[in-house]
Parts: sequence; structure tokens; C-alpha cells
Amino acid sequence: MKARNAALLLAPAALALTIFVILPLMWVVRTSFNHTVDGAYMVSAFTFENYTRFLGSGWYLVNTLWFSIRVAILTTAISVLLGYPVALYIAGTRGVQRNVLMTMVLSPLLIGLVTLVYGWIVIFRGGGLLNSLMIALRVYDEPVRYMWDLKGVVILLVYIGMPYIVLSLLDSIERINPSFVEAARNVGASRWRAFWSITFPLTMPGLYAGLVIVFTLNFSAFAVPLMVGATDTQMIGLVIYREALLNNDLPFASSLSVIMIAANATILLGMSFLFGKLILNRLEAKR
Amino acid sequence: MNDSTGKAIQVEGVCKRYGHVSAVNDVSFDVRHGEFVSLLGPSGCGKTTTLRMIAGFVMASDGHIRINGRDVTYLPPEKREVGFVFQNYALWPHMTVAENVAFGLKLRKRDKAFIRNKVEESLAVTGLSGFEGRLPRQLSGGQQQRVALARALALEPQLLLMDEPLSNLDRALRVAMRRELKKLQQRLNMTTLYVTHDQEEALSMSDRVVIMSGGEIVRVARPLEVYEDPQSEFVADFVGTTNFFDGIVSDIGEGVATVKVGETLTLRVGNRISAAPGSAVRVLLRPERVRILAERREGANMLAARVDFIEYYGPTLRYTVALPGGEALFVEAHDIHGSAQIGETVWLSIEPDHFRLIDRKGAPAS
Repeated sequence: MKARNAALLLAPAALALTIFVILPLMWVVRTSFNHTVDGAYMVSAFTFENYTRFLGSGWYLVNTLWFSIRVAILTTAISVLLGYPVALYIAGTRGVQRNVLMTMVLSPLLIGLVTLVYGWIVIFRGGGLLNSLMIALRVYDEPVRYMWDLKGVVILLVYIGMPYIVLSLLDSIERINPSFVEAARNVGASRWRAFWSITFPLTMPGLYAGLVIVFTLNFSAFAVPLMVGATDTQMIGLVIYREALLNNDLPFASSLSVIMIAANATILLGMSFLFGKLILNRLEAKR
Repeated sequence: MNDSTGKAIQVEGVCKRYGHVSAVNDVSFDVRHGEFVSLLGPSGCGKTTTLRMIAGFVMASDGHIRINGRDVTYLPPEKREVGFVFQNYALWPHMTVAENVAFGLKLRKRDKAFIRNKVEESLAVTGLSGFEGRLPRQLSGGQQQRVALARALALEPQLLLMDEPLSNLDRALRVAMRRELKKLQQRLNMTTLYVTHDQEEALSMSDRVVIMSGGEIVRVARPLEVYEDPQSEFVADFVGTTNFFDGIVSDIGEGVATVKVGETLTLRVGNRISAAPGSAVRVLLRPERVRILAERREGANMLAARVDFIEYYGPTLRYTVALPGGEALFVEAHDIHGSAQIGETVWLSIEPDHFRLIDRKGAPAS
């Protein structure tokens, strides 16, 4: 009876998951095989035309799927490069200093996305603060196009992704016993060598968790490319949005969604395999 | 490599301050080549901080540390060439046993065959052959401790620093490891500085014991001297159990002094008395130095006492007895046959030489 009572704890979540995730997902998969008549309304069918339209088109593959993967890899990598030192630094602080730094790092999550994006637009647009400042300082003469361009999409995705990277890394760093590094120094490792041989491998679980979250968010990003993107930043989430809500082509949007989920799952599986092989299998409790 | 002083470690006037808090204050001591020295004291006494300053994990605020004559006070830990065994072993969890032991050798760019042999040899010395491929979490506490030791020994350090290496093991294993460690240290003639809060460990393993309290050194002596002649109330109380009597020296005779304790108690105390008549002294007495008798006999100190409490420890019995003046006293006896019962009156016989006298500073010498 104990097991049954325990299972009851899962019931509300299982119900919500079924209603809001599993059923819609099944509906999406089914819809992806439907047919759209004259780009106007959908009829029930079982056709692969939506898939072949996307996968058979070099333009879609390169400019949407591969482009989204590239942007996700680039933004995730920049987030890690910027976030890792921040996490290391915060791990060494405490008290007020730590609270201030944590608030700064978490601020993108505390401000609504729309407010945040419009704030950045004020700074980065043609005649915005950054361009005015750079021109005043004679760093460059002509305003640089940051917003409504790939640069803006990358800047914002990095900014929004950073907190997840920092938080998950911080957790890993703080789990590392300080004597591990001391032991490495004691047997002759420099500070730098001790970091790469001991600290860095031991933060892989946190890095992996951060990568999974940020890569998935950025790969499927839709709001940021919508607000600050341009005609050449056709990220897959944005295309799905356009097909579903503007072109009213639900079957095509559904097939894109299925492709997006499949691509993401494949990449995450690959990452899981890679990290597992590299280090996680050694660290995981396996008795 | 031995320098002319013959000292493996010289600690000279070393201090460690954290803001206004002084963790270690003007500590000086030496460790000779091949010697096993313990830093003994209660937690927070500065013993671990002192050890960590010698290893270079903590920078001294003041003073000098020399290893084999070389001033290492400001050297980073990786330049000091000392072995260190941590209380929590600090084995790198993502490396196998062999990788843990080999890491320092790889940093020294030794060739593969040399490293393999050295790892094998170190693990054999610590009784861990066959465990090369295991990960630390697949080992018991005792095995992890051996890996930590093997990792330190693989580099053939001239000096081994150990920070309470046995304190996380259960008692039986701790006692066994203590003997093994000591034998190994003797076989390798390894200069060792050993931090512990366990007096039994310090007394049984060390050539000399450095006792610390409140960031300062209280006593440096051989284990026997520490126990038999504590010379201070702190040492007497921290190492073993001690009975204290506060008294006044009333008379000094031929090798024997008379100390009056309170109104009713007079003790005949043996040699090595530097106190003048009338001075206030504290008399120390180890519980096992008291003989407990059923009947009165002849003796220098023959005291009647009432048994208040009895604790059975197996090999010994500990009596808590009260003297007529109300002074409570611990007495430890091996003879458990015909032992006294609670409430009975017994006789205590104490040889004058078994008392130790220390000054009572600031006490009125009325």
C-alpha cells in the first residue's frame, strides 16, 4: 500500500503532463501528416508532403535547421565562456558581495523578456546609447547595426542563457572539496594545472546540465529572433510561429515542430554520450 | 640533502592572523630527520593551521618556515616537495587509484615505465595491489586512506605531513592503521609531522609531541615526559585524566615537602620541589597512581575516603571517591576482585613521588 500511496503523489503532475504536453504533442504529430488546401484550411490526411517540403528543400535545411543549430552552438559556447569565470568568481565570494553578484546574474530571469528586449533595443539600436558612445569616443564613425540583425539575436540569447550556465556551474563548483585542489598543488601542480586537471573535470556535471538547458532554449528560440531578428535570421522556432499563426498552415508548422524536437533530442543524446564517455560515467554513483 | 643543522623542519616564530583573530601565535619548533613528531591539541588550537602553513596551503602572517634548511615561507605549495595526507583523504573522484597515485609523477614528466613501476610499488607498500583500476568511491575509508598514503609516498618526499589521517576510521581500524603507519614510517625512516587531537595516537606513535592550545605551543616533549610530568594544568588535563589539589607548601624537608590542602588534607609530596614554603601550588595526581586498600597500612600518604561512584571499563575500574574535606578524586584500579562497594570507606595510598607540583600563578600565598 505504501507504493500506491507514493504513486498518488505523482498523480497531479502526471495528469498535467498528459493534458498539457503529451496530448498536444500527439496532436502535433498527427497534424504533421495532414494536408493544407490552398494554404487556407487543413484536411485530414496521411501524407509526408510537409516533411518532404522541409527536408527536401536545401534552403530550409541550411537557413532554418542548420542556421538554428549554429546559432544555438555559438550562443551556448559564448555563454559558457563568459559564464564559467563568473561562476568561479562567485564561488569564492560570500555575504553582501555574493548577493549583489547573484542578483546581477539572475536579473535576466527576474525581468520580463519583453521589457528586457526593449531595454536592449534602447541601448543597441542605430542611434542608441552604445553607438552614440562609440562614435563619441571615435571607436568607429558609422553606427553599427546590432538590432534587427544576427548580432542582436546572439547578444540577447547569450544574455538570457548566462544565468542557467552560471547557476548550474556554481552548484558543481561548490560541491568540489577544496582539499582536492590542495592535494593537486601538494603533488606539484601549478594553480593553472590544478584547475584543468581537477576543478574543470569535476564541474562537468554542472556544465552538462547548463549546456542542455541553454542549447535547448536557444535552438528553439522564438521571441528573441522575432523581436530583434531580421529576414536572414529564420530560426526554426520563428518559422514555426509564422507558419502556424500567420500562414495558417498547421500541418507544415507541426512537421517543423516534430523535426525540431527530433533534432534537439538527437543532439542532446549525442552530448549525453560524449559527456558520459568523457567523465560523467566515472562520477555517477554506480555500485 | 641533509643540511648541517640536521633539521628537516624549522618553524620559527610563525603567526597566522585572520583580521584581528590570531589563529597561530609565535609558534617555534623543529623536526629532526627521521623523527616522528605530533602536533597535539584540542580543535581550534591552531595545529592544523600550523601544518597547512608548512605545506603552503596557508601563508604565514609572520615568522619563517624552513624545510631542510631552505626557507619556504613564501613558496607556493607545489614548490615545497612535501607529502601531505588529508583528513578526508582528498582523493580525486574522477581518477582511478592508479591515476591518483601517478598524477604527481606525470607532472614531473617521468617516463611511462617508471611511473607504472612506482605506482605498483607504492600500492604494494600500502597493501593495495590489485586495486589500481578502482575509483575512490568504490573503496572503503581505510582503503582510501591507504591510497592517499600511496599517493604521497610515490613521490618519495623527504617529509610527510599528515592531518588527522585516521580520525575518520572506526576504532579497531584506527588502532591497526596506527601501528601499520608507525612501522612504515620506521622502515622508510620518513620524517613525519602528524596532526591529531587523539592523545593515544600522539603518545603511541611519536618520538616527540608538540602540544598546542589557543594558537600557542604549551609543551614539546617525549610522550613519556608529557604524560608523567605534564608541567602545566592544560597538558595534565588534556593528556589523560588528572586529579588536582590546590594547596600551600607548609614545610620542606629531606626530599619531601608538606602541602596543606584546605583544612583537613595534608599531602606528603616527593622530590623536585622548587616552591618555597608558603607558596601556592597545584598538586597533580594521575588516577592510576593511587592504590586503593580495604584497610589502613603504613605509608607516607594514607587517606580515608568514601566511594561515591564506580565505573567498570573492562581492564580497569574507575572509582570516584570523596575525601573527608569534600575533595573528589578519581582512582583507577586494575584489581577488580574484592572491590569496594559504593558508600564504603576505603584507604588510599599514594607514594610521594607520584605527585607533581605546578605553580599557581596569581594565587595568594597566604
